[in-house]
Amino acid sequence: MTAFWLLAPIMVVAALGVVLSRKAVHSALCLAVVMISLAMMYAMQDAPFLFAVQIIVYTGAIMMLFLFVLMLVGVDKTDSLVETIKGQRLVAIVLGLLFGGVLVTVVAQAFVGPVVGLGEANADGNVHGLAKLLFNRYVFAFEATSALLITAVLGAMVLAHRERLEPRRTQRDLALERMQRYAEHGEHPGNLPTPGVYARHNAVDVPALLPDGSTSEISTSKTLRDRGVVRDGAFAGDVSVTMRRLEADGPERGRVEPPPSTPARHDGEEDL
Amino acid sequence: MSAVSVQAIVGAAPSPIEAPDVDYATISPLLIILGAAVLGVLVEAFVPRAYRFVTQIAVAVVGVVAAFVATVVVGAGLDTVDGEVTGRGGPTAMGSLSVDGPAVVTWAMLLFFGLLGVLLFAERRLDGGLSAFTSQASTPPGSADERHATRLRIEHSEVFPLAMFALGGMMFFASANDLLGMFVALEVLSLPLYLMCGLARRRRLLSQEAAMKYFLLGAFSSAFFLYGIAMVYGYAGSFGLAEISTAVSSQIGGQNLLLAGMALILVGLLFKVAAVPFHAWTPDVYQGAPTPVTAFMAAGTKAAAFVAMLRIFFVAFGGARWDWAPAVWAIAIITMLFGAIASIAQTDVKRMLAYSSIAHAGFLLVGMAGLTSGDGVTSVSAVLFYLVAYGAAAIGAFAVVTLVRDAGGETTHLGRWAGLGKESPVLAVAFTIFLLSFAGIPLTGGFISKWSVFAAAWDGGAWPLVVVGVVASALALFFYIRVVVLLFFAPPQGDGPTVAVPSPLTWSVVAITVAVTIVLGVLPGPLLDLVQQAGAFVR
Amino acid sequence: MTVEPFIGLSALLFAIGAIGVLVRRNAIVVFMCVELMLNACNLSFVTFARAHGNLDGQVAAFFVMVVAAAEVVVGLAIIVSIFRTRRSASVDDASLLKL
Repeated sequence: MTAFWLLAPIMVVAALGVVLSRKAVHSALCLAVVMISLAMMYAMQDAPFLFAVQIIVYTGAIMMLFLFVLMLVGVDKTDSLVETIKGQRLVAIVLGLLFGGVLVTVVAQAFVGPVVGLGEANADGNVHGLAKLLFNRYVFAFEATSALLITAVLGAMVLAHRERLEPRRTQRDLALERMQRYAEHGEHPGNLPTPGVYARHNAVDVPALLPDGSTSEISTSKTLRDRGVVRDGAFAGDVSVTMRRLEADGPERGRVEPPPSTPARHDGEEDL
Repeated sequence: MSAVSVQAIVGAAPSPIEAPDVDYATISPLLIILGAAVLGVLVEAFVPRAYRFVTQIAVAVVGVVAAFVATVVVGAGLDTVDGEVTGRGGPTAMGSLSVDGPAVVTWAMLLFFGLLGVLLFAERRLDGGLSAFTSQASTPPGSADERHATRLRIEHSEVFPLAMFALGGMMFFASANDLLGMFVALEVLSLPLYLMCGLARRRRLLSQEAAMKYFLLGAFSSAFFLYGIAMVYGYAGSFGLAEISTAVSSQIGGQNLLLAGMALILVGLLFKVAAVPFHAWTPDVYQGAPTPVTAFMAAGTKAAAFVAMLRIFFVAFGGARWDWAPAVWAIAIITMLFGAIASIAQTDVKRMLAYSSIAHAGFLLVGMAGLTSGDGVTSVSAVLFYLVAYGAAAIGAFAVVTLVRDAGGETTHLGRWAGLGKESPVLAVAFTIFLLSFAGIPLTGGFISKWSVFAAAWDGGAWPLVVVGVVASALALFFYIRVVVLLFFAPPQGDGPTVAVPSPLTWSVVAITVAVTIVLGVLPGPLLDLVQQAGAFVR
Repeated sequence: MTVEPFIGLSALLFAIGAIGVLVRRNAIVVFMCVELMLNACNLSFVTFARAHGNLDGQVAAFFVMVVAAAEVVVGLAIIVSIFRTRRSASVDDASLLKL
């Protein structure tokens, strides 16, 4: 029983972790701990087949599916602690504790009779014994589970699969469309300018400089523009900032020659 | 602590596994329905879109009709078994299924509901030539993609195979002879229903929400059911209802396990039949689900779950009757009263029908508390009769709901139904007949069914339940009459309700259900004879 | 090796799962708690199978795993389809229907 008493506290703590952790990913990982520990409990209790299936199906497939969906939905979402129904949480916890108390104290003590053990049932091997039941006594239920699996596949297809309703647009179609737009609206058919062209440096948040020294709006991503984090691409802004910083640094740093105030070079002090 | 020995995994020369001996003819109705479902999936894969919807309807209808014929043949050929109670038929398919009188009657009933359900699913004239199901469930509601799919007249014809799977699960649930089979059957019937709930064409947000609520609460309740099974297995050492019955009557000790198991199984089943306090999902799901699905679900799930509940508690736990009967009494009383009182406050037709379905679960529980054997009306026969009458009226009522529409789809607000009697007298009269049947007015099926469950309960000594039942019926009657008055005498709001012109499919559903409701009220004899001859459950 | 500690542990896990279902608001976490309950059932099945000396309980646990796999697919499909619409997996945000 040593293994049991080692595993049981881990499982209870992990199960509490499923319920208590605010991030869904942590819950999922705690659940995986419970499931792997359960697999060991199965191995302890002469169920080697279930030991394997528990790890392969539950931990391997089902938990991974949960994690996939969590990734899809957004991992960093934490759960709201706001109660929608007043007192619901307290009532739920009290009821749950009562229920659990009854189960643990009454049910766990209720088993009477000798523990037979599986020595005889597993005489031909555990897998063989299971197969004997599965393909004989429980054959109808076994066949009925195929209905479940088909339903699951059908359901996933219905709810998640988006059928392509139109033929796929090829490169040629796209190019023609682009030229069409150019002909009709004068929209530039080529690539947009990349950020940083002719600018002081080529970070994505620095817009390209046009030949006349002004910045090109369209060279930075719309997301950055909307967020308002696009930096001034012109040299002058950066230079004056550097000048101020140098002046503020004090006399010993002041010995450094201040850079010329006109843009003579393309690499600024940050590149040094 | 014994380690897993290599011997236990590999084994020496194992004994051969015997091939199972299955009487395919006896379980053919079930196999035909599941076969039709699988065929439907293949149709989905291989038939061009233009013909798909029609092909699916044909597969489903032919499957249901063939299964019905097979059920009649199987039912006619059942042997009579004389035990302590008279029964017909017996376990088959290695003891997994019990094809006895009640099971065959339930199969026939479920197939009848299934046929009506398929006819409602197939209706395409109400919504501009499209079915009641969304064009593409994977597109967000209101998106351009959704409109595009609708414009291309794409439809989810997968609902037909899903309905067939649900129907097969219901039939399996009503005839399963061991708890393990019941658990699998419960899931086979539930999963397609969860999916179909979320597929409404109109008010998709509501529909998706209904699907999620139904799914989460359904999974929660089936976990309770499963834990109950585990406890009972711990008590009896077997899943077979017969073996459990033997263990219960021989009082082998460990009663606490049995009590906990019975309580948890009862919780799981009461959830499925929507009894108070496990009813909270019902109004939301009935309202949010596409109305044809609601109709099919209201009639079918209730029938399958009630028959399964009777089977578990009469066959397996019959020896412990005085342990579970008080709980059933209490739940019957609160369910009847709550259902009747809560429906009075409703302003939405679908929610009102949902609360009425809760109240009916209470009346059916009264029937469960009745006589188990005897010459008169037994619990089993009363409940079977009740389920037929209720199911027919419920499907009919929801069929009427699909027809009263405005620009945004169905108008389910009760106020908008005022003046329906002037707009479409036929429809209003049909709806009135269903309501009167729900209320249990004489000359409708509802009267005879209420009378039979009350008679069974009275003979079984459950007279307090009968008294509460009559009070609850009177309360409900008040409400139903109010709705009837609204339909015929209240001034219409604005232009009044508009009634869409359906295809013969929906008309035939309304006509059939009206006919069944009246025939069961006027000439209940044949069906009463049939359910009484079905006899008791055979284990 | 006695039976009681295993059944006690299974009851405890089941109760924790049930509390989780009632307390948590995130649909995916609620569903994980349901899975925890199913796992607790499986532990009972396997333990009782050993106690009774027959393999029926282990077969049951196997069936539960199959059923759980199918249920997870359906459940997560429903949750994902809702998420696509609302960008939220909270049970509370889905509250168009009356509580």
